[in-house]
Amino acid sequence: TNQSVTQVTVINIEGMTCNSCVQSIEGVISRKPGVKSICVSLVNHNGTIKYDPLLTCPEDLRSAIEDMGFDASLSAKTE
Amino acid sequence: MPEYKHEFSVDMTCEGCSNAVTRVLNKLGGVQFEIDLPNKKVCIDSEHSVDTLLATLKKTGKSTSYLGEK
Repeated sequence: TNQSVTQVTVINIEGMTCNSCVQSIEGVISRKPGVKSICVSLVNHNGTIKYDPLLTCPEDLRSAIEDMGFDASLSAKTE
Repeated sequence: MPEYKHEFSVDMTCEGCSNAVTRVLNKLGGVQFEIDLPNKKVCIDSEHSVDTLLATLKKTGKSTSYLGEK
């Protein structure tokens, strides 16, 4: 059987100052194809995203956050 | 340059939100705008269509609506 693959990436996000920013990002990114879950941390200035590598990639996700008006960079830390 | 100013309501709650709006509008280019954070309004002077401006504002993930010309 074809088991779907899940990968995790951590993206640094600068420019969030409140919970509403966090919710906007989570809302928009979680609707992207391939995204299984997203957890954005205001305190750590990052977002942890679980995704299907066949449908999206960290660079796609980074540029999607960038498009929303935040500074986003790929973290070296991946799990 | 046309003399229209389009007024939009954008659900911004903090400076992070208004900075995000500033950045997406600057990326679009060809716009002059003022952001009124307390009243959650963005006033834009641009030759872009209302649809383009609305789509740009919606990129921020905030709820956005067009209020009309000013």
